[in-house]
Amino acid sequence: MDRPAAGVSYQRFPRVRIRELKDDYAKFELRDTDASLANALRRVMIAEVPTVAIDLVEIEVNSSVLNDEFIAHRLGLIPLTSAAAMAMRFSRDCDACDGDGSCEYCSVEFHLAARATDSDQTLEVTSNDLRSTDPKVCPVDQARAYQHALGGSEPFDTAAAADQRGILIVKLRRGQELRLRAIARKGIGKDHAKWSPAATVTFMYEPEIRINEELMETLTLDEKRSLVESSPTKVFNIDPNTQQVVVEDPEAYTYDDEVIKKADAMGKPGLIDINAKEDSFIFTVETTGAITAYELIMNAITVLRQKLDAVRLQDDDGDLGELGAHLVGG
Amino acid sequence: MNAGSFTIEREDHTIGNILRMQLHRDPNVLFAGYKLPHPLQYKINVRVHTATQSAPTQVYTQAINDLDKELENLKQAFENEKTRYNERPKLGY
Repeated sequence: MDRPAAGVSYQRFPRVRIRELKDDYAKFELRDTDASLANALRRVMIAEVPTVAIDLVEIEVNSSVLNDEFIAHRLGLIPLTSAAAMAMRFSRDCDACDGDGSCEYCSVEFHLAARATDSDQTLEVTSNDLRSTDPKVCPVDQARAYQHALGGSEPFDTAAAADQRGILIVKLRRGQELRLRAIARKGIGKDHAKWSPAATVTFMYEPEIRINEELMETLTLDEKRSLVESSPTKVFNIDPNTQQVVVEDPEAYTYDDEVIKKADAMGKPGLIDINAKEDSFIFTVETTGAITAYELIMNAITVLRQKLDAVRLQDDDGDLGELGAHLVGG
Repeated sequence: MNAGSFTIEREDHTIGNILRMQLHRDPNVLFAGYKLPHPLQYKINVRVHTATQSAPTQVYTQAINDLDKELENLKQAFENEKTRYNERPKLGY
């Protein structure tokens, strides 16, 4: 059999088109690669891109209705700005502090002190009450409020107003107090979901929908309408002028096969043909705000490359010694 | 025929599946597969058969190099695409 010589590259050159890019949301097309790579990117974005989150809490005073562990857990779940996380050290392999998590390379300290005064009003303790010792790392809504204050001319929408209240940690009644010290550390979503920067990451195959126009012409308008309505999502529509069935939104198709079954039931098999393009993907990425969607994508690629680098053979057969030479010789 | 099996410690489907698919692109590879022997054990086994003029270590290294270059390329593509995306409103689309 004719096989190419060794050392020939089978590398692909994926193409990307960004459809929408916001701070915490991205939608893009990825082409000329396969599902394994798309899925690896998705998995890395969810579970292996590092962020910073509160990991150790020392409670000084807690007379609230929630117990210490409950509050510690809630603090851990607050997203912190993590643009610096890629450059930080994991505290388990930080040699500056022997992993006790109290040096500037691997941790950030937070303080919180709140006491409900003697008024009858309940006091809401939120993420806005957390005081960071490092301006680069703070709760994301604090950072956003700060950004908002800087660009004061920006229109004040209701979503931003909701953000400014912060994330509720606990409510204090008259006389109750909460005082604590918290250490935030770098981590990944695989260890605990609180470190995951991803809210959702999904991809779908790009659908290719073809209508057999010749066969479609044999349908009455009522039949066309019932065909259009047989799809649970609005994929097709009827052109009001020509009364032809048109594909309105191919990406609304959920691969449910309903229109194909409908066409078969109408005695018109092959009326509509739908294929998944297996080298073409549509990604949607949403982040928690810890890092931007663009950072999440770029960091995922970096992390995946680091992983690949780690699984290289030591130096090309070197560790196999004589056996290696024997194997190459065949 | 050349056969080899590799144990990759501390990796899972993320690496296993892209590696397997990349190995399949190489015509010298007669068989490539991976398995996660146990969900609580953080390791995978990769098995590769190659044609006589090649070797498992060789195609394995080649596959990793190709994937690495593909990702390098993808990163560049993203950077270029972001520039294009940001300049789009200025061009008056």
